[in-house]
Amino acid sequence: MSSTRRQFLSAALVGLTPKTDRSIAGGFIDDGHQIGHQLRDRAPFAPVKQVMRIPIVIVGGGIAGLSAAWRLDKRGFRDFVLLEMEERAGGNARWGENEISPFPWAAHYVPVPGKKAELVRELFEDLGVLRAGVWEERYLCFSPQERLYVHGRWQEGIEPLTEATTGDREEFARFAARANEFRSTGQFTIPMELGAKPSTLDNLSMDDWLKQEHFTSRYLHWYVNYACRDDYGALARDTSAWAGIHYFASREPDEKGPLTWPEGNGWIARRLLEKLARYVRTGNMVHRIAPEGRKLRVSAGETDYIADGVIFAAPSFLAPYVCEGAPPVRFVYSPWLTANLTLDRLPAERGFETAWDNVIYDSPALGYVVATHQSLRTHIDRSVWTFYWSLAEGSPADNRRLLLEKDWSHWKEAILGDLERAHPDIRQCVSRIDVLRLGHAMARPVVGFLGSDQRRRLADNSGRLIFANSDLSGFSIFEEAQYRGVKAAERALGRC
Amino acid sequence: MTIVLFVSVALIAACGLIYELVAGTLASYLLGDSVFQFSTVIGSYLFAMGVGSYLSRFVTRGLVARFISIELMVGLVGGFSSAALFLAFAYTQGFRLILYAIVVAIGILVGLEIPLLMRILKNRLEFRELVAHVLTFDYLGALAASLLFPILLVPKLGMVRSALLFGIINAGVALWSTYLFRDQLGARGLLRITCACVLVMLGAGMAGAEWISQAADANLYADEVIFARDTRYQRIVLTKWKDDVRLFLSSHLQFSSRDEYRYHEALVHPGLAALPGARRVLVLGGGDGLAVREILKYPDVGSVTLVDLDPEMTKLFSTHPYLATLNAHSLTNARVHVINADAFAWLQQNTDFFDFVVVDFPDPTNYSLGKLYTTAFYRLLGKHLSAQGLAVVQSTSPLFARQSYWCIVETLKQAGLKTYPYHLYVPSFGEWGFVLAAMSPYEPPVRLPGGLRYLAAPDVPPLFQFPADMLPVDAEPNRLNDQVLVRYYEHDWREITH
Repeated sequence: MSSTRRQFLSAALVGLTPKTDRSIAGGFIDDGHQIGHQLRDRAPFAPVKQVMRIPIVIVGGGIAGLSAAWRLDKRGFRDFVLLEMEERAGGNARWGENEISPFPWAAHYVPVPGKKAELVRELFEDLGVLRAGVWEERYLCFSPQERLYVHGRWQEGIEPLTEATTGDREEFARFAARANEFRSTGQFTIPMELGAKPSTLDNLSMDDWLKQEHFTSRYLHWYVNYACRDDYGALARDTSAWAGIHYFASREPDEKGPLTWPEGNGWIARRLLEKLARYVRTGNMVHRIAPEGRKLRVSAGETDYIADGVIFAAPSFLAPYVCEGAPPVRFVYSPWLTANLTLDRLPAERGFETAWDNVIYDSPALGYVVATHQSLRTHIDRSVWTFYWSLAEGSPADNRRLLLEKDWSHWKEAILGDLERAHPDIRQCVSRIDVLRLGHAMARPVVGFLGSDQRRRLADNSGRLIFANSDLSGFSIFEEAQYRGVKAAERALGRC
Repeated sequence: MTIVLFVSVALIAACGLIYELVAGTLASYLLGDSVFQFSTVIGSYLFAMGVGSYLSRFVTRGLVARFISIELMVGLVGGFSSAALFLAFAYTQGFRLILYAIVVAIGILVGLEIPLLMRILKNRLEFRELVAHVLTFDYLGALAASLLFPILLVPKLGMVRSALLFGIINAGVALWSTYLFRDQLGARGLLRITCACVLVMLGAGMAGAEWISQAADANLYADEVIFARDTRYQRIVLTKWKDDVRLFLSSHLQFSSRDEYRYHEALVHPGLAALPGARRVLVLGGGDGLAVREILKYPDVGSVTLVDLDPEMTKLFSTHPYLATLNAHSLTNARVHVINADAFAWLQQNTDFFDFVVVDFPDPTNYSLGKLYTTAFYRLLGKHLSAQGLAVVQSTSPLFARQSYWCIVETLKQAGLKTYPYHLYVPSFGEWGFVLAAMSPYEPPVRLPGGLRYLAAPDVPPLFQFPADMLPVDAEPNRLNDQVLVRYYEHDWREITH
């Protein structure tokens, strides 16, 4: 009898542990994949009603396109338009806002740029982020920056050192020393184009490189793998060792950062859009770019633009669907999922305080970023968390299919299930979860990307069609997008 | 007759489950980590039940009398389990030990119940029937308990009374059994008297439940708690011992009525008395109105703006007869404007200038409060000072938290302010430090207002001298993106307390 009674008692008690589900609202955010797929499926487009002659057209309103516009405008060149497919510009710097706080939908920070990243520093001077060589304190990420949930508790920082052995710590130290050596070669720069040279590191994966260097600590492997998933949306075994090392060897910050805002990089996009609003046409999908004599004809909606130069700042993989005669682009793109969770109360916290970036060890996802972290208030009782998940396990194509097949409840449960490990009461705190599916969130620097002929051909930009997306660098980071955008603008000016 | 027996089975099953729930819930509530607490409580409870079931084989004679005494023991231990756990948490270091001791004791006793009862009943029913019925009612009782506990008991009765109520039920079943099984029982008189005694004890516990809850809470403070309230922002507690009233915010001492005048006179007068032309004063924090009381001693000050986060705090110090007397009704004075807002955010959107600013925030115990001690905050503060204006900053103890204190001084300097650190002795706090900060040079006052209990003008300049054990030490400035102060503070105070 005791065994049945035992089962009953356990069942009754498990049922009483805090798990009273509240109803959680939310849904998918319009991610433009339907508009995008019209291009892929060669859907018929509206007939042309007007033709405009204009020297420069920028295609795409993400950071690359906005940076191109910023440069043109700054050079005093006003005769151009920026065409954005979606109703709101921003690209991977898109953002949202609710009654609690603005919040990011994708990119949410910029590492404090080193001295070599001159263009980023110039932009930040324009935006009041950098004044007389001093970074505005309110835009630097507040303490505490990062924490990791590992072995049942939160620790400061995301290097999992809570239960690390001396051997583990030595490997972390040796890894940091190796990164320093690579930094001093001058080849791992931001922008990457300034320093990158052909390298044998591009012929093997980051995971293989770690093994080759006899790194065996499982904590170090997790950490490096996390970095690759976070910056490239890929596992270390699917990432070129050159790119993996670039992540650790490229940054030379002169201040503790990163730079961040409640709406993430949406803050930068917002400031740029305020300056550049008169050039930006949203809800304007470019569906064809074709030669027209010595110029280019850009068809968007009911308008055709006849331009001397076109800056193609949208993801390069779209080019073959739009540009007449363009060869297929075979870059690999990582699919991502982000979600914004509205918390009308905060979960009970124990151990290290809530940080800006909160990571759960051994989770398939990347953790969450707290939108109210940059608030000056001392007392915060509601918040918005942005949950990041790069679907790195398995093939990108399969994961894109998964993103479209599964319904919102599936992702809601997956997200709450993941967070529940560190926050058992999370279901009682969340009132809303909105999910954004990004099938082609970022270029993935796979093995061989650096030496890829195609990447170098597209980046060459000797024609009237000038590519500007960060995917030309092989990885999607703010600094690369901005650099490519500005360089494309300068080339385009040379053509006019 | 038989149905009455089975109702007893259901009742004792319910009791057994309630004690397990009480232990699991209390452990989760007091220690956190509900998954861990519930798992270990259930595990040890079920294991102990197994031990009890095994031990039942050694009970050979006087089954009914044994059963009744077991019921009484369960009633006593289970009934007082909740009270004992609360008090153990408040008064002892060994909460976990007592928790598992109680869980195991109840588990063993509950494990004995059903085997004994089945043996008592074995001659009245066929074995097949007996097992079916006893188990059915056992489970029904458990179901009822598991539903009642979260829906009715915890919200209506609370943890202490719920456990006591079910203790009474156990003892009731014991008393009842002396009648049910009277034919199998020899000496009934003594058992009934024992039952009555246990019932009286549990009943007394019910009557005193309120006192038990208070005793558990009050022990966190040394003295009698005369006021306690959880607001949206903090826990406000006032304690009283003879004529000494102390205010605690979230367990941190804010003042003692016996020596607060030292703190507040030293906070206000070295700065404000040096500014004969001061008209507009700002107080950030200080919702107790005691700094404002000192400021109102200057007839030329035309307006005092007090910004404190918690409306319940300023309301309490405006209306409570004792507290309003202590601050001389400063918060209801016509010259005083009380604003309930988050100070940094308020200062950010405010455009006024002030001649004198008192910055009296809680110590930087965490990164949220630490924001109020950063270069960013002090730069903003500097922008609100009039040309000759002064700010004074509560800066923790230069003796106990030496590096923290000099970190605050360094942070003010980095924010472009001239600094004038000083300190005094407050018996309830120990050595305490303030920093005057200004855009222009500061000279100590030559005259102070009348009626001060501690400070006189000649006493002011010596406050700025630091003995050897409080002299400046190297410290980084505290910035929003690198809050060294919170780490210094934690380190400094850990040195003292360990």
